[in-house]
Order: sequence, then C-alpha cells, then structure tokens
Amino acid sequence: MTTMDIRPTEAAVPSAAVRARDVLTSEWTKLRSVRSTYWTLLVAIVTTVGLSAIVAVAFATPPPDHRPPIDPLLPSFASLEYAVLAVGVLGVLTFTSEHTTGLIRTTFTAVPRRRAVLAAKAVVAGTVTLVVGELVSFASFLLAQAILSGNHLGVSLSHPGVPGAVLADGILLSVCTLMGLGLGAIIRHTAAAVAVLAGLIYLSAILGLLPAPWNDRIGRFTLFYAAQQVVALHPRANLFSPALSMLVLIAWPAAALLGAAVLITRRDT
Amino acid sequence: MIEVDRLCKRFGPVSAVDGLSFTVRPGHVTGFLGPNGAGKTTTMRLILGLYTPTSGTSLVNGHRYRELVRPLHQVGALLDATAVHPGRTAHRHLLSIAQSNGIGRRRVTEVLQLTGLDTVARRRAGGFSLGMKQRLGIATALLGDPPVLIFDEPAGGLDAEGIQWIRQLFKTLAAEGRTVFVSSHLMSEMALTADRLIIIGRGRLLTDTPTEQFIESSTRADVLVRSPRAGDLAGLLTASGGGVVPDADGGLAVTGLDAPAIGDLAAEHGIAVHELVPRHASLEQAYLDITRDSVEYRAAHPEQGQEI
Repeated sequence: MTTMDIRPTEAAVPSAAVRARDVLTSEWTKLRSVRSTYWTLLVAIVTTVGLSAIVAVAFATPPPDHRPPIDPLLPSFASLEYAVLAVGVLGVLTFTSEHTTGLIRTTFTAVPRRRAVLAAKAVVAGTVTLVVGELVSFASFLLAQAILSGNHLGVSLSHPGVPGAVLADGILLSVCTLMGLGLGAIIRHTAAAVAVLAGLIYLSAILGLLPAPWNDRIGRFTLFYAAQQVVALHPRANLFSPALSMLVLIAWPAAALLGAAVLITRRDT
Repeated sequence: MIEVDRLCKRFGPVSAVDGLSFTVRPGHVTGFLGPNGAGKTTTMRLILGLYTPTSGTSLVNGHRYRELVRPLHQVGALLDATAVHPGRTAHRHLLSIAQSNGIGRRRVTEVLQLTGLDTVARRRAGGFSLGMKQRLGIATALLGDPPVLIFDEPAGGLDAEGIQWIRQLFKTLAAEGRTVFVSSHLMSEMALTADRLIIIGRGRLLTDTPTEQFIESSTRADVLVRSPRAGDLAGLLTASGGGVVPDADGGLAVTGLDAPAIGDLAAEHGIAVHELVPRHASLEQAYLDITRDSVEYRAAHPEQGQEI
C-alpha cells in the first residue's frame, strides 16, 4: 500500500524549552519584519527625548519671582506621555494585526497552545520596549539635566535615589506595551483596543479633576499616579508608597494579560 | 487520515455543522463540496482546532489537533490566502511560521521555489495578487512536509495556468500517499481534481463516494436519436421496451435501450439513423440536484414565512 509512505517527520518530541524557544523566535521574526514596530518605537524615542529637552528649557528659564521646587526628574517623566501611547499601540497591534488579517488562524494552527503564543508575544514586545524605555529614560534624563545644570537646577546620576528613579521611569513603556497587548488579545479590534488603552492610560488626568481628597484616593490606582510615585525623588504622602505604586504599575498589564490568557483558549478563532 | 465523528457546531441558534461523520483517507484527493454556507469552512476550522466543537470529535492521524506537537509536520493547511500581514515579505512570513515549529530556513527556500515565489520572496505580501497569495498559502501548508493537507477554496484567484498547476500538485501529493482534502463550491473544478467526493449541505453529509460512482449513479442516461423516419423508429423502439420522449428539433430521447441496441434495431428495419448520441446529465446538474434542498442562500426565493 502506498498510503503508508508518508509519515510525520518527527524524530523525537521536542522538550518544552525547545518549543518555547521556537515560538519566541517566531514572534521575534514577526515583530522585526513589520514597519509599524519601527514607527512606534521611533515616535516613542523622538517625542520623549525631544519633549524632555523642551520641558527642561521651560524649567531652566529664570523665574519671574518665586517658584516651587521642582522634581529634577519631572522633565523626562512628563515627556513619556506620547511614548506610552505609541508603544501601547505597538502592543495592541501585536495581536490585532493578526486578527484583522486572519493571520491569527495560521498562528494558532502552527501553535495550538495559544497561551504559548500570548506569552511569547509578551516576552518579545515587553523586552524590546523595556530596552527602548530604559535607553530613552537615561537619554532624556541626561539631556534634561545638561540643560538644567546650566541654571544649577540639575541633579547628577550619582545623586542618591536618582539611578533607581531613572530605571523605574524606563519600565513605564514596557508596562503600557503589555497592557496594550493584553487588551489587543481580549478585544481583537485595533481601534476599539486603542480607545480602551488610551482611556486607561489617561484615566489619571480625568480623576485628577475630582474634588480632594477623592482625586488622590482614586487616582493613586491609575498608571500615571503610580508611575509618578515610583519615579519621584520625593514621593507624595497622600498617594501610595513607591513600593505599593510599583505593584499598581505591574497589576495593570498583569490583569490585561491574565484576562487574555483566560479568553484566548476559550474562544473560537 | 482525517476522521470526523458526529461533529456538531452551533453558533447560537444556527447549526453550522450538524452531526457530520466522514473519513478522509490517504492517497486520494478528496473534494469537499457544498453550497455557500454548507459548513465546509466551519468543518475545516473544527478539524484544525480553531473552533471548539459543540459535540463530536475530529482526529488527524489519530490525534485531536490541539494535542499535536509541532503540528505543521503533521498537517498543512491553507484556510484564507489573504491572511497575511501586508507589510511582511513572503520570506519573513514563511520564516516566522516555520520557526514556530522548528523548521529551518532551507525548507523556507524550498517551498518558495516549489510554489514559484522565489523571485518575489523579498517583496511585501501586501502587493501580491490574489493568485500569488494563494501560492504563498500553499507554500505555508507545505512547510512541514506534512502527510495531511487541508485546502479551503485554494483555486480562487488563480489563472488558468495556476489552476492547472494546483491540480497537478494535489494529484502529486496524493500519489505520494498523502491525505489531500480540498474544499470547493464548484463541482466542475472538483470533478477534474478529486477522486473522492464528500458533499455536505446545511452541515449534514449528503454524499461520500468516489467521483466516478457519483457521476454514474446520479446522472440520467439517455440516447439522442435523429432519423428521417423518426415516427417509424419511435414505434419500433417502444415495441422493444424503450422509453421514447420527443427531444428538441425532431430528435428522440430514448431511455431503456443503449446506443448499439438502437442502432441495430434501426439497421434491421432499414431505417437510416443520422445521429446517435449517448448522453449523461452534466456533473454540475447532478451536484445541483443533490444540494438543491440544502442551499442556504438562494437568490430571490425567500423561504416561506420569512420576513423581508
């Protein structure tokens, strides 16, 4: 019988580690091979570093009379506002671009363990944006301090608490990317997922308008307040402590990814 | 080998697949036919583990799809040729899928050559014609050199040469002992490609048979006879047990007697015969007959009681 000629070419069942590496390699190729990755990262880098310089210049101009002491890390932190959305969209697209094109079916046919795909996408996109985030954070800090130091307002990297704050500043991009990725996997439509992501990121701005003390009591659960506390050299007393704020910062993407992990295996694709 | 057993899939109140059972065997090109909305795509997605069945099972090489390790080595599938990221090159597209199953770059190059895409491998897939995307989809299916291949409407968008190529490819793959399962809504296409047919309608099995047998059993055979003495011949034929119905242009449509018998009878009585043609109803007709009651979307004939 000729029917037995063709058999699956399986030498041995590959180990879980090998399979995980395969999926990671695959997702790494995917991320590198589309232009949207480079565009979103370029926007994240240029806007952050550029705005840091502008904010620093604004702070460095001689005060008319008296001004409140500013946190020297504020310029680089405040400048992340556009970058977080850019890399958040990168996270969203990582999933929704596969859903809108239908490629997700090929992906899930090649890797039926869907959570492995989710994990690999998270690791790849999360790592890339973490590296970019740290680079951007240090670059904009150094640039802003170079501008501020002309007016004796700067702090150096060796100042106590500063290296940690700059490092913490850098993780915000990764946090938003992973949140976008989770939302993209849950919502599966680019526009809707981006809308929800933007709403969640900028929630702090809306909650900040609430009458005191509610603005802080509710606001401290938002991404921006939490990030601000983590980064600040002098954390505010009426918000969560930096350690708790760090937990808030991690909880947002964790919740999105957990939701995605639950839904991804249950739904028809 | 694909084994589908009492497979059901409901979407809300709609039964897309309704108790479907069949086996697709290796060494054949099996055509999977049905009108639009019959449940072909749903069935294929169920086989590939993309949908969770409401009940029933489907096995590929004896395993549930979702349990397969590195499934591309076992099953290759083309579901939707347009399902590619438009910004990714053909090569990178294939490479990313290959890597997920531990398939090397050399195989990527091979399938690109096999499908004639090697010259456009570094171009973005967004600029590809539908025919080129079909070839890319077939290249994807072949990546793992799998013993089972599943193609959903693979001929759409291909030109005449492409269709010829794909037919030959399927036959070659089947001759190598692989299971080749191809869906289509066009009988004419399947008649030339498939040697077995599985026909479904409204999610149910209508026919599971060799193509030849399907044609033989479902066509009304008759013989068209033309003669200057048609009236006399009609009488003789009726007397010999044939059924005679006047055909267009004075011809006779004869059933119950085959062409040699009719010719002999006419010769015995010295009647000239100008035309003697055995006829089979077309395959398309046979297909339409069998699926008539299960057409999901029919133009301008709303179902009774249906609001418009």
